[in-house]
Amino acid sequence: MINSFLLIGVLAVPLIAAGASGLVRRDETRYAIVIPSALVTVALAGTLIARVVSGGPVSALGGWLYMDDLNAVVLLVVMFVSALAGAYSIAYFRSPAQGHVLRRGELRKYFALFHLFTLTMVLVSVSGNLALLWTAVTATTFASAPLVDFYGSREPLEAAWKFLILAVAGELVALLGFLLLYAAGIAALGRSYSFSIPVVSGAAAHLSPSLAGLGFLLVLVGFGTKAGLAPMHTWLPDAHSQAPAPVCAMLSGAELNCAMLAIVRVLSLATPSQGGKGGDLHAALLGFGLLSMAVGVLFLISQRNYKRLLAYSSVEQMGLIAAGFGIGAPLTVLGALLQMVTHSLAKTLMFFNAGNLLLRFRSTTIADVGAVARAAPATAALLILGALAIAGAPPFGLFVSEFAIVSGALRHSDWAVGSLIAGLLLIGFIGLVVPFSRMTFGDGRPSEPQPRENLGVAVLAPGYVLLAAVLVLGFWIPGPLHSLVVGASRVVNR
Amino acid sequence: MLPEVILAALILLVSFQFIVTRRLGAAVFAYALQSWLLGGVAIALFADSGLIELLLFGLLIIIVKGVIIPQFLGYRTKSVLAGRRETSYYVRFPTALLLGAGLTLVGFLVATRIPFAPQLLPESVLGIAMAVFLLGLFTTTARRDAILQVVGLFAAENGLLLVGLVVAPSLSLLIEFAIVLDILIAVLVVGFLVARMHQEVASTDTSELTRLRG
Repeated sequence: MINSFLLIGVLAVPLIAAGASGLVRRDETRYAIVIPSALVTVALAGTLIARVVSGGPVSALGGWLYMDDLNAVVLLVVMFVSALAGAYSIAYFRSPAQGHVLRRGELRKYFALFHLFTLTMVLVSVSGNLALLWTAVTATTFASAPLVDFYGSREPLEAAWKFLILAVAGELVALLGFLLLYAAGIAALGRSYSFSIPVVSGAAAHLSPSLAGLGFLLVLVGFGTKAGLAPMHTWLPDAHSQAPAPVCAMLSGAELNCAMLAIVRVLSLATPSQGGKGGDLHAALLGFGLLSMAVGVLFLISQRNYKRLLAYSSVEQMGLIAAGFGIGAPLTVLGALLQMVTHSLAKTLMFFNAGNLLLRFRSTTIADVGAVARAAPATAALLILGALAIAGAPPFGLFVSEFAIVSGALRHSDWAVGSLIAGLLLIGFIGLVVPFSRMTFGDGRPSEPQPRENLGVAVLAPGYVLLAAVLVLGFWIPGPLHSLVVGASRVVNR
Repeated sequence: MLPEVILAALILLVSFQFIVTRRLGAAVFAYALQSWLLGGVAIALFADSGLIELLLFGLLIIIVKGVIIPQFLGYRTKSVLAGRRETSYYVRFPTALLLGAGLTLVGFLVATRIPFAPQLLPESVLGIAMAVFLLGLFTTTARRDAILQVVGLFAAENGLLLVGLVVAPSLSLLIEFAIVLDILIAVLVVGFLVARMHQEVASTDTSELTRLRG
């Protein structure tokens, strides 16, 4: 009863917020909706996750909604990122630098879509039926593509169109994968069975191996497009650089993880039937992961635009997560799950930083930005510490999760794979830290005179919250989070 | 079983219309026709097997994909393009036709490699379905016009729904409903973006959108 209330409530709150944002007349009211709805969502989702950690999986509506530890990890990420992105949106659009960019009625569209986008991602993380899972992942595309086009000029439109076409094409390939996965179960479960996760999971060892394996590979390629895995990643740097900063944070920090969740879920369902050949599926995931890391790092070191730099860092990081799952050893899976959490926090922080820089310098070119440390110390501290965090420097949380993946790879997989991952991470580290320290401490050559006004507390506060969270995770992983991640790794590696 | 196979073969035939036509209106009409045929396959299967979800599935396809979406796209085509007829390719026309024929062959070859247990429809329909899927994706990549790219994706989805009818005919109604619902949302978003495209570049030719690099 309580579980049903929580699972439905966590969907109802963003839905109500979206409706209200679309209906009310004044922008101030729209702003006022954001924080309460985020707080209620966090409270409901937090309670739900706590119940899953202590009492195991919960479900509602006859199994359509379902939450186990794996779903809970993604809900945790979605809830944090969207709550903070909501808070940052308010500060961002209220700041004078944005005021003259906005047209009438733009904020109505923005906040209605923002809450809908949150809703679709929450739906991904509470899906108990694989058909609903596919539908929800697809729905995230439709909610987010118009947000990419928010600024309404040619480049954002191009980015949104490319995103929409490639993502939908990928989703269709994934749909074929899901159809084959269903067909894989017909022999064991009968012609007409429920496509719910517990049912398929219960019969996972008896699925038709070749159909299940083929189904997984199609889901990997299809949703891999949405998760930003190379070579299907080409839409990502465009979409993640053209959207408004808070939306970029949602796209990179939360949406990519939703697609990754679906891939990992299908992997966990398809592997048990493979017998001795389960390694082939993992190897495919590892291959895409390593390629994504290489491509991400390669484009990272040659970037002149700091938002695209962050987007390529997302390609690299999703590659690392895929590689962690692909190696499939307990330690690397644990690391990959933790990396989903830490990367989301740090990437959200960095896109807030990008927003701060854009508000100040009105340019996304790295060379235009400089001397932030002298002009605005509070902004600069957040910028450089965030850059160190996303690059994986100790003592931040990403160092712990990346260390787990690399050491797990060295111990349980090929030494070559482990050292390749470590090497790519090192190049990525340099590629991220050098430009951001140049922006923070270097001179730069602003194309237009810099505004002197300081960014307000409201703009900086969400970033500092994230910085604190990433820092704490570097020293100490709270007990509930630890058991959540361990529980999720058991779901992945049965 | 024969009527279903004939209907499926017609679906494949109609798919070539996306490749050969030079008029947007004809492509949208071909999509509507394809959806009616797909609905026909499902209803004929219902007549054979008595599975009620197949009847509902067929009617849903005909109403949503055969009537509502084509109406919407046709309305968009008229209002946005105002008489523009010619559409251009990224590849030359004979090459496109040849590639289309090649993809059909690939579809059939792929289908023979999928080790499924035959349900209501014979294996040959799976080959047709895979070919329709690939031709749809090919239309999306080979055409420059935004509306045709979208029609290609919708046609690819028709192919997949046919795959579904072959490999898992009794997939529950809710699943199909979810799929159709998704398409409705897609149409809303696509309609919005196509209108925006017209506003920005005064056409729906996506080759105008090439500013983002690196």
